[in-house]
Amino acid sequence: MSQAVDTEMGINEGVTDALDREAAEARSGGEPEWMRERRVHAFDVYARTPMPTRRLEEWRYTDLDEKLDLESLVLGERSNVADDPDAWPEGVRTAMDEDWDAAAHVVLIDGTMVHVDLDEALATKGVVVSSLKDAMNDEDAWEDIKQYLATQAVTPDRGKFAALNGALFLDGVYVHVPRGVHIDLPIRVTRWVSTSGAAHFDRALILAGETAKVTYVDEVLSDDLDTHTFVSNAVEVIAKDGSNVQFVQMQRLGRNVFAHSQQRTLAFRDATANTLNIALGATTSRLDLNAQMLGPGSSSEMLGLYFADADQHFDHNTSQDHVSPNAFSDLLFKGALDDRSRAVFRGIIRVHPKAQQSDAYQTNRNLLLSEEASADTLPNLEIAADDVKCSHGATVGQLDEDSLFYIMSRGIPQERAERLVVMGFLGEILLKVSLGGVVEKITSEIERKLANV
Amino acid sequence: MSAWLRVAAVGDVPPGTLHGVTVERTKVVLANVDGDFYALRDRCSHADFPLHDGVLLGETLECIHHGAKFDVCSGKATGFPAIRPVKSYEVDVRDGDIFIQLD
Amino acid sequence: MPVNETVKDLNLDEYKYGFVDEEQHVFRTEPGLSEEVVRQISKHKDEPEWMLEFRLKALEIYESKPMPKWGGDLSGLQDTLDEIYFYVRPQDRMEHSWDDVPEKIKETFQKLGIPEAEQKVLAGVGAQYESEMVYHSLKKEWDEKGVIFDSIEDGLKKHPELFRKYFGTVIPTADNKFSAMNSAVWSGGSFVYIPPGVELDTPLQAYFRVNQELMGQFERTLIIAGEGSRAHYIEGCTAPTYSTDSFHSGVIEIVVEKGAHFRYTTIQNWSNNMYNLVTQRALVHERATMEWLDGNLGSKLTMKYPSCYLIGEGAHGNILSIAYAGDGQHQDTGGKIIHAAPNTTSSIVSKSISKGTGRSSYRGLLQVHDGARNARSNVECDALLIDETAKTDTYPYIEIDEKSAHIGHEATVSKIGDEQLFYLMSRGMAEEEAMALIVRGFIEPIAKLLPLEYAVELNRLIELEMEGSVG
Repeated sequence: MSQAVDTEMGINEGVTDALDREAAEARSGGEPEWMRERRVHAFDVYARTPMPTRRLEEWRYTDLDEKLDLESLVLGERSNVADDPDAWPEGVRTAMDEDWDAAAHVVLIDGTMVHVDLDEALATKGVVVSSLKDAMNDEDAWEDIKQYLATQAVTPDRGKFAALNGALFLDGVYVHVPRGVHIDLPIRVTRWVSTSGAAHFDRALILAGETAKVTYVDEVLSDDLDTHTFVSNAVEVIAKDGSNVQFVQMQRLGRNVFAHSQQRTLAFRDATANTLNIALGATTSRLDLNAQMLGPGSSSEMLGLYFADADQHFDHNTSQDHVSPNAFSDLLFKGALDDRSRAVFRGIIRVHPKAQQSDAYQTNRNLLLSEEASADTLPNLEIAADDVKCSHGATVGQLDEDSLFYIMSRGIPQERAERLVVMGFLGEILLKVSLGGVVEKITSEIERKLANV
Repeated sequence: MSAWLRVAAVGDVPPGTLHGVTVERTKVVLANVDGDFYALRDRCSHADFPLHDGVLLGETLECIHHGAKFDVCSGKATGFPAIRPVKSYEVDVRDGDIFIQLD
Repeated sequence: MPVNETVKDLNLDEYKYGFVDEEQHVFRTEPGLSEEVVRQISKHKDEPEWMLEFRLKALEIYESKPMPKWGGDLSGLQDTLDEIYFYVRPQDRMEHSWDDVPEKIKETFQKLGIPEAEQKVLAGVGAQYESEMVYHSLKKEWDEKGVIFDSIEDGLKKHPELFRKYFGTVIPTADNKFSAMNSAVWSGGSFVYIPPGVELDTPLQAYFRVNQELMGQFERTLIIAGEGSRAHYIEGCTAPTYSTDSFHSGVIEIVVEKGAHFRYTTIQNWSNNMYNLVTQRALVHERATMEWLDGNLGSKLTMKYPSCYLIGEGAHGNILSIAYAGDGQHQDTGGKIIHAAPNTTSSIVSKSISKGTGRSSYRGLLQVHDGARNARSNVECDALLIDETAKTDTYPYIEIDEKSAHIGHEATVSKIGDEQLFYLMSRGMAEEEAMALIVRGFIEPIAKLLPLEYAVELNRLIELEMEGSVG
């Protein structure tokens, strides 16, 4: 089935055919030896890990046989787009126009970093925002990368796709905020996908030193693509003692894309690692998100917002691990589903033995807007310590008739009233986000989707 | 009206048997009931397991995984634990080949 | 109920039903499961040919299915299954009067208080000892109204058409590995038919006793509640405590016809060496109500998820589940509700208590099919943890294909509150008493639905298990 296209690197073939150790090794061109070994190891894990099927609990509601066709894809290659806004696709410029104040801007096109700028003052303080590939060879950065890249957070043994990304990632973003440095404005990352019919792999490593503070806003987007395309992303957040990391991902990919993001946050003593994941685009979108509470006083707020329509299929697989006592985590995922779309939420809180005084919460709420939409929700708990406060809740329902009636009684037409109620439902998440631009982007995208009804 | 897609040769599905195929990333089970061919979505409406693992007795397909039963002609559920029907597709046999319409 | 009065009764500190009586059997199969064992069971029951074929096919399906990898730890089960007796015939025929039941067996049931309860609060009693029902009796007034309450074997013999119409249709053999096993070797259990419009004002009870070591019990119950009828069926289970493991795997099929109301209560208090893997399912027709009251207190491992298929408009399903997991016990229980028709409603309330190294898991499925308009359901799970080594899990599956569905699920986990405890102790209550009171309050929503005698028994059992939990 695969179309072989000869290239000088010799890896631009159907992904499955090309997936051998050599492909992984070829990707390590220009990288240090330890990285080459790491990629080969990731490949070995990939090769011995069977493709997930619905018989696996975590893939019960997403049939990869039907949703993902690796055979049909070529391996995405480095983009040679110049570091010049005029050379970038219009979609990138539009997205960045709305990004107001930022501490740094990063642009990746098809996984290749084409632009990075960082506030001078922060650079002076030792903040690093750069390409992962560059940082591996940087004399100040390489040791941290060697210590953390794919070794503690998104390791190859986290699953077939984590291993595949570890073997084949083209490039990614490296952020290091040294001890005690606070970055007030967000780091803005715009990742654009333009090559259709390809498998793209990138990742991010965010390292916050003791008591450092950083916000990272990642936006991944594309036009609607003509053929099936795979976009794989891995995000590793290391929040050292007392640090505060806020990670936001906005997924606005076009149709025909299978988007996969595997994210893991490690929060040490008194550290905060918060995430917000917004899914609006792609045909299939899968998120694997794990928060590790590793030190006393650590916390993680995990927010999610999704709006699916047409035949979109969103699958959110989350977990909260309370390894240390005295930690806090709170998850809230809310979504609205229109047309024939389907959303899956599978979440688990694990309170490990001896993790006393854990506070852990988990809520998933779904709004069904059409007769054909469906929602599956599985909020799980595994509790092995007795002195805990844990709860979870899930709801599935339609628009609240009372609210609708109330709004319509004020003279507002039904269609607009419905939009207001949906926005009100999702607004609970947006109210928790205080980032300029993010709320506006999401709101207008949802408004656009609602207007299509 | 959507296109007729060739999915198998008649010889691939002997009488009284089931045969699983994948057409445009959709899994379909074909059934041969005494020379008449039927096609259903290859996914049990009870727990989503593939129906082609099952057995065909007359016009009844019994899912091997949990014992649910379906009428292969219509896709209607005829035995618990299934309640919902499975999707059934139009079938045409021409020159020894089986065609279906996915719609 | 006055607190002190019940607490005072707490003078036993071990499993009350662990006594062993002398072995009573007239026949038993060789240990383990084989085609020969299945043939012998069928022969002993003098069954029609179709049933033997049904059993043999089930054996084949059983052998083809892998051991479940989810739920509890079943890694030691195969060894147990190779050793146990799948069929032990305690006497040659079933009796309808206690006077005719062999003395030794009768004594067992007397110790369990069955004949006494029968006189006082029950409409009918069935008693199973090892593999067979040894006693079955129904009060005359209900017999005259056409109620059938018989052993499953007599159901097959005396009502072959009714039997064959429903048997194995609610829970097909292939439903799961243990329904297949039960279908191959079933023995004992009840056949119940409540004619249309008949309302039983007192419960029917079946009592299951395993006495012999290395015993497997496989009862099969089929219940048909006719249109507009009303009845309550209670099952109780106990066994001696042996150092080897025993096995119990029942299949309970219930059809609740239009407008009928049926309640099925289980007070399972198997000894802590029992694997208890049961499949229970009810089909609930138009405007009918099915209630499962599931009390799981004993066993080593229980995996049991009573379910309601709401297939008629306006049907209602209710599952109340209470689990107690003490040292070394795992209660993996919950319930399943399928909303397959419009205006159906359901509720699941699950309460679990884990103590010592006990683990209780709630596992549930709530499904609303496309077109089941205005389905409403609410699920609440509360888990109480009594020691730092205790564990609890919650695994709800909620699958909604219908826009107008209104679904809520909530779960909380807590330990016995120090404040609550302190308050009660400041009122002069001993710590153990206070704890028992809190636990009783916790299970009260379920206990109150039982006939008084059983509620008292449930409370007593829980308090018994709670003993020694202080300190």
